[in-house]
Amino acid sequence: MKWKRALPPLCLIVIWQGLSSLGLIPSFKLPSPREVLWGLLDLSVVGMPPGRLLHDHILHSLYRVFSGYGAAAVIAIPLGIAMGWSRRLRDAFEPIVEIIRPIPPLAWIPIAILWFGIGNRSAAFIIFLGAFFPILLNTISGVVSIDRILIEAARTLNASSRDIFLKVLLPGSVPSIMTGLRIGIGIGWMTLVAAEFTGVRQGYGLGYMIMTARDIQRADEILAGMLVIGAIGLAIDVSLQFVERRLIQWR
Amino acid sequence: MYRVIRKLFVLSVALVTMFGTPAASNAGTEEAKPVRMAYLQSDIHHLAFWVALERGYFEKEGVAVDVAGVFKAGPEVMTAFASGALDMAYVGEAPATTAVANGAARVVVVSQVNTEGSALVVSKEDHTLTSLKDLQEKTVAVPGHSTVQDFLLRRALDKAFEPEELSDYRVNIIVIKPPEMIGALRTGQIDAFVAWEPYPSKAFTMGVGRNLATSHDMWPEHPCCVLAADSKFADSHPERVRAVLAAHLAATRFIHDHPDEAVRIGVKYTGMDEETVKSALKNVHYTTKLNVEGEKEYVRFLTELQYIRVKNPDAFVDRFINPKFLSEIQAQ
Amino acid sequence: MALSLELVELTKVFQSDRGEESVEVIAPLNCRVEKGRFVSIVGPSGCGKTTLLRLIAGLDKASAGKIVLDGKVVTQRDERVGLVFQEFALFPWRTTIENIEMGLEIKRVPEKKRREAALDYIRAFGLSGFENKYPKELSGGMKQRVAIARTLIMNPEVVLMDEPFGALDSQTRNDLQRFLLDVWSRRGDTILFVTHNVDEAVFLSDRILVLSKRPTRILAGFEVDMPRPRDRTGTDSNRIRKAILRLLAEPGTP
Repeated sequence: MKWKRALPPLCLIVIWQGLSSLGLIPSFKLPSPREVLWGLLDLSVVGMPPGRLLHDHILHSLYRVFSGYGAAAVIAIPLGIAMGWSRRLRDAFEPIVEIIRPIPPLAWIPIAILWFGIGNRSAAFIIFLGAFFPILLNTISGVVSIDRILIEAARTLNASSRDIFLKVLLPGSVPSIMTGLRIGIGIGWMTLVAAEFTGVRQGYGLGYMIMTARDIQRADEILAGMLVIGAIGLAIDVSLQFVERRLIQWR
Repeated sequence: MYRVIRKLFVLSVALVTMFGTPAASNAGTEEAKPVRMAYLQSDIHHLAFWVALERGYFEKEGVAVDVAGVFKAGPEVMTAFASGALDMAYVGEAPATTAVANGAARVVVVSQVNTEGSALVVSKEDHTLTSLKDLQEKTVAVPGHSTVQDFLLRRALDKAFEPEELSDYRVNIIVIKPPEMIGALRTGQIDAFVAWEPYPSKAFTMGVGRNLATSHDMWPEHPCCVLAADSKFADSHPERVRAVLAAHLAATRFIHDHPDEAVRIGVKYTGMDEETVKSALKNVHYTTKLNVEGEKEYVRFLTELQYIRVKNPDAFVDRFINPKFLSEIQAQ
Repeated sequence: MALSLELVELTKVFQSDRGEESVEVIAPLNCRVEKGRFVSIVGPSGCGKTTLLRLIAGLDKASAGKIVLDGKVVTQRDERVGLVFQEFALFPWRTTIENIEMGLEIKRVPEKKRREAALDYIRAFGLSGFENKYPKELSGGMKQRVAIARTLIMNPEVVLMDEPFGALDSQTRNDLQRFLLDVWSRRGDTILFVTHNVDEAVFLSDRILVLSKRPTRILAGFEVDMPRPRDRTGTDSNRIRKAILRLLAEPGTP
């Protein structure tokens, strides 16, 4: 039955191609699927800007997203566990979190450029902001939802605070953490592409690639680039789902 | 099955209504409708447009003009042309060329607006940079790929290095939008930038940068901004194109005859100080004379770098630049 | 290995959040549990039986009084005390063997050694074949066996059990009672067993302490001097049961 899920998008593509071939949709507004495929080929072989190939853009974007995302996870998970564990810590940090959280990561771009310059660190910072809060909030709720009796059971087995942290709070909140990690990478990935619109130092990145294609008015390459971004986002989510299923068999 | 077909039909109609070409919106005889025009924010090259607006030259020529958009960059202007939102605009010849060559928009160039008017700026503090060759291993910002500034820099570098050195000149060219360039130069994130005026002058009056080379040094009389018209509009309303063009010619003359008044208008539209605008004007050559040879060189450069695919650059330029309107007016 | 436990004037007062009201849960309470004995505690529900165990296990702090373990006063949680919960409290992300190993892991026992020890318990507790199952895949009776094994593998000097069979059906409960006696007869732990089921107390214990309603104190202690295995419905059992039930039913017991 899985093939049935591919049917609606296939239909859409066929109709889209049909209307383009009939000349009902002008290609400068919406290139046909065939043109988008050629655009994809151009991106991979000629590059945009020429000489800068698609796979290098992808690698740079992935590097940026995972450095920001990695930093977000490394800070948000322990902090989230600590905040979930200690009422006092939660009370202290919650107001700060609640103020910063609703600010769209992209609103930080001018500040990011001021603090970190135009480059990977700036982009990573934007990703960090996008990914940090979903991970933090989900981790907190994961810890809060752990049955207190499990912590007491660990204590009767002579667990130290460190043991409780590593052997009870951390594994117990893994399902929520995974949810946070999945939301976080989704937001991070979307944010990255927008962040790259504002300029990158290395001259690589999917957002930068699309911006350049737009500068020289290549709608086919813009659409092909968007498709690549969507496909990679999907691939990341599917692999995280796989990891998630592996990690929480016990549920 | 019937329901599926109906759904597919609805989908097709939706797609066509979203993306299909609207039936010739500019046709007809509604002469009262103003000409929709656009210019770039803070781009002193477009001074003639501001002068014509301020001094009422359009009214004098009997044409109503509506500023339909103030844009940050040429590609945005070309996207506006493609969507049918503009009839004419002041725009860089570079984005106009790429847009037309890549089939995104259909415009013709009816007049030059200016030549030159950009500069290569380096940090005021950095005394090690004295010639273009010193940019080896340095980072230089341009406003965008395939822009005039990008071309100027690459062309100047090609000329600065000896042929045998050419293969290993390594200058890191990156893209930053002009408003951020001065800040990036001040904080040392870039070593130099190429931008249109008044940003080089602004960098100078702010005490951040100095010109290593003006665009006159790099390529005398290189084409820069043009007055472009939507092809269909030019075909269907030649008299209105001529009227706008006449106002443009008058405004350009005015800039040469009354520079002080032109500076005042420049200050008003850019929001920058008088000193900056004054110094910027010195580097811009306001002219209506079409530079066809320069455009051909430019098309060859873009083709070489694979930004566009044009089989016959000369034929392309002959179609792209339409000197007919200009000569008609000058004949009067 | 087992040692004696003594409670001296043990008191617990709960303060309300605002600190104004206070509820005395455990009145000054004295008792002594000899080494290796199986002592049950019965009492009306809500009387503070669980609180008493939590104090001894070091999960809560006493308001006054002393807990004396093998002649020494205990002020905080003591490693020699183990606790089995009514709700099993297994770690859902750990398999059977990993749950049983948890305490040894905390104790930094080398992996190979703790694995061997856990496997011994798995065999002895009839859990073979379920080593790598997660708690969600186990029946209630099995879960409680895992929980008991997890506590006993630490070889605690005093084993506290808080209504361990309260959540099980009667058949499983009977099986586990016999199983527990079997384990205890071989090990000789000191067990303090809380239950609200008088039959269970009579079937299992050497001695039964009957607690009063709040504030809790000891109403009476019964020695159950019957050979095991005991007849659940024999005359001796019935006699003790009647006496305890009468005591618990007495109206106005403070």
